[in-house]
Amino acid sequence: MSLINNKKDQPEMKHVIKNVIENKCDDHHSSPPTTMAERQRQRFVDKATKVSAKYLRRLAELDGAPAAMQPFFKVLSDIYVDMKNVAKTADTKIVGTYCVMVPDELIYAVGAQPVKLCSGSYTAFAIGDDLVPRDACPLIKAVMGFQAMEVMPIYDDCSLMVVPITCDCKKKMAGMLKERVPTYALHVPTAKSEDSDMEQYVQELYQLIPELEKVTGQTITYQSLAESIDAMGFAQYQMSKFNEHKKNVPALIKGTHAMALMNAFSYMPVAQWSQQLYLLNQELAQRKKDKHYVSKDKQPRIMVTGSPIIFPNIKIPLLIEETGGILVGDETCMGERSLYDPTVVVDQSFDGLMRSLANRYTRPCTCPTFVDNSQRIYRIKQMIADHQVQGVVYHVLRGCLVYDFEYQTLEDELGQLGIPVIRVESDYNEEDIEQLRIRIEAFIELIKLKDLALRPKKPEIAG
Amino acid sequence: MKKTDFKLRKIFTPTVLAICGVLMLLSLFAGSLVFYAFGSDDSGYAITPVLIILLLAVIGIVLCLWLRRRIVRNDPVMGRFAAERISLKPGGTVRGQRKFGFMTMRWLIMLISFFALIYGVKWLGQGFGNIELPIFACPINQDQLIDSSCYTLAHLNSLVGMSWSEIGIFLGSLLLSIVVLGRFICGFLCPMGLIQDLTHETRQGLKIEGLSLNEKLYQRLKPIKWTLLLLFLGLSFVGGNFCNICPAITVSPALAGFKVSLFLSGFFMIVVIIGSFFKRRFFCNICPLGYLIGLGHRISLFRIKKDGQACTECGACYEACPMGIKTIYTEREKRDVTTADCIMCGECIDKCPENKALAMSFGGVKFYKASRKTFMSGQKKTDQRLKRLIRKREKNESNQ
Repeated sequence: MSLINNKKDQPEMKHVIKNVIENKCDDHHSSPPTTMAERQRQRFVDKATKVSAKYLRRLAELDGAPAAMQPFFKVLSDIYVDMKNVAKTADTKIVGTYCVMVPDELIYAVGAQPVKLCSGSYTAFAIGDDLVPRDACPLIKAVMGFQAMEVMPIYDDCSLMVVPITCDCKKKMAGMLKERVPTYALHVPTAKSEDSDMEQYVQELYQLIPELEKVTGQTITYQSLAESIDAMGFAQYQMSKFNEHKKNVPALIKGTHAMALMNAFSYMPVAQWSQQLYLLNQELAQRKKDKHYVSKDKQPRIMVTGSPIIFPNIKIPLLIEETGGILVGDETCMGERSLYDPTVVVDQSFDGLMRSLANRYTRPCTCPTFVDNSQRIYRIKQMIADHQVQGVVYHVLRGCLVYDFEYQTLEDELGQLGIPVIRVESDYNEEDIEQLRIRIEAFIELIKLKDLALRPKKPEIAG
Repeated sequence: MKKTDFKLRKIFTPTVLAICGVLMLLSLFAGSLVFYAFGSDDSGYAITPVLIILLLAVIGIVLCLWLRRRIVRNDPVMGRFAAERISLKPGGTVRGQRKFGFMTMRWLIMLISFFALIYGVKWLGQGFGNIELPIFACPINQDQLIDSSCYTLAHLNSLVGMSWSEIGIFLGSLLLSIVVLGRFICGFLCPMGLIQDLTHETRQGLKIEGLSLNEKLYQRLKPIKWTLLLLFLGLSFVGGNFCNICPAITVSPALAGFKVSLFLSGFFMIVVIIGSFFKRRFFCNICPLGYLIGLGHRISLFRIKKDGQACTECGACYEACPMGIKTIYTEREKRDVTTADCIMCGECIDKCPENKALAMSFGGVKFYKASRKTFMSGQKKTDQRLKRLIRKREKNESNQ
């Protein structure tokens, strides 16, 4: 319902944006509003909103979306179609984060609002293509594109950007961002097998705090930190309930919707998000009672892993579910991973809280930038067992080397389990969509055939 | 900043040691009053030495905190958190985790065992002196429900003078308790364990920062353990008496009303209390008796099981482990992760957020498993509150 409303709002909002841009140009150059750059910017906004609206429509058209999903769609449309800021009080400062290693707890504890700025926009990618080297990953290009165009409030209103130094692209991106906006480079240990690696991260977090405090002027106290840990803990509690629902066979919710929900987490205050998820969980529990499923009994259960899948670049999950598969789980950093591992407080002192945060954001993190990452394979295997996955789609963004490195080992390991894996490489554009569709469709057919080949044997044995 | 932290640690550890040394000297003077030797006329109260030890330990802790605060305040990064790190002011706590469960059971068993081992005979009128547990509950206290074999172990030369049946009982009960209980004794029954857990809980309640040891620092405790083991088993052969330095002697007899001369053990007990205040179960890490029981960890019936696939290597178990057992989270292949150091306290399972990743078993039966639902059960209250809030809002909307 909200989508229809948004469409009505859309021209109005665009007008507002146009005005804003015009004002900006008037201030700076006092040139007429139809300069080259101005028109280019307008084209950019038109195109970006059009693509986002299209993917939102496809998300909504994918049948089986629970009614409680609507607020999450609304948030995505607010941010990407209407180009609004995050829903917050006027004086709340925004702190932009990247990756999954920046503790949101610390940002909430100083009274600011974290926004995850990793981007999936095709239009911004096209702009960023000229700013960074050709082989850089599209995520960086999209971020730099938005940064250059200065049309997204979530990027422009950022008082501070915290960039964890993970892969090479993020490292260089931190340097480039520093020239434009206040940026803090958060050093993440490259390995995690030694105790000193984690302890180093504790020190890094201690150094991050004064930077965050400068943004809001509030000091972090034991109480504010404990409260924000509890608030995030509640989101994770709801998330773990949601995961239990996702394990249901046949599925209660489509995986693409689940990914949209996780994407919406980046742009929502945590309390609001967990409240909506609570309502969604209740609806899913009701669905379970009513036996209202969104998949058929024998629909192939697919899991997606690999490079981040960020709205509006959700073509892969959409393709999986449009071609007859059902996406039951994801092991990506914009998906389940960001909220899966809880903060385990073992020591009630302030240092104990900091240690538990550092521990939660390094040790269980399955990001492939760490030297040894065998735990990711175990995690995927466990998810396959939990969600009864029949096939794995390994998504690699072009230029995302760290994920590409881990494909071989995963293929070998899953081959031993008899789980088919397909590696799909994609970029932030719609040119490869038909090719991807054919490959994914074939993959799903293969699983169906495999299932059929296995199925008739059972009655024979029984007879 | 890593460097400053190392420097901090480098300063901190010697200061703790120095303070302990000063306290030892102080207590020597105290000893000339009533501290370590009771006069021949049996004057004074049995409880007096315990109170002196407690007082000196508290002074030591306060001194340690004051010194640390002085050091931390000058640190460029940490200086800002000096007040927050030694916070005594009441503030919120992290409520999202489970409050009751297996740990409540453990506390109950520890308390029951503590009182049974001190006042058992007085309450029941009869003890089981024939059974000897390898436990640091001082056998000088005659009121114990169950006898302790630590005296015989510390005086192995006395075995020569014993009758065969006595030796049989000693060895038989030792072997039986190693197989049936193992280091479950350390985690659940030992009165020294309860005292250390109490000091740890005091620190938790006051939200004072402790010392978090890492691998290397745990390695440094090992030489102390070997020395103590050597003293424990060998002192009797060269004419010494381990009881004179054993910290356990200060508690149990004194509380039961037996007057015992403490000699060096009083000083050692102060070190143990200060140590266990900052580092949980400090003494267990260097306990010679616990080490001896741990030797039989391969045949003992209490075991820690792990499902390597369910584990996410989040390291929560390692952070929670008072004994610093790292294999608990790095082990991926083996299903059995019981080690000689494990005291079966169950903290790792209590803090494990993964379903069935860790479990404690007795004789093959898993009776306590990790589960995410119970781990996060502290959030249920927030869940209920949200439910009420939403219902209220709906009501308001329908009214309008």
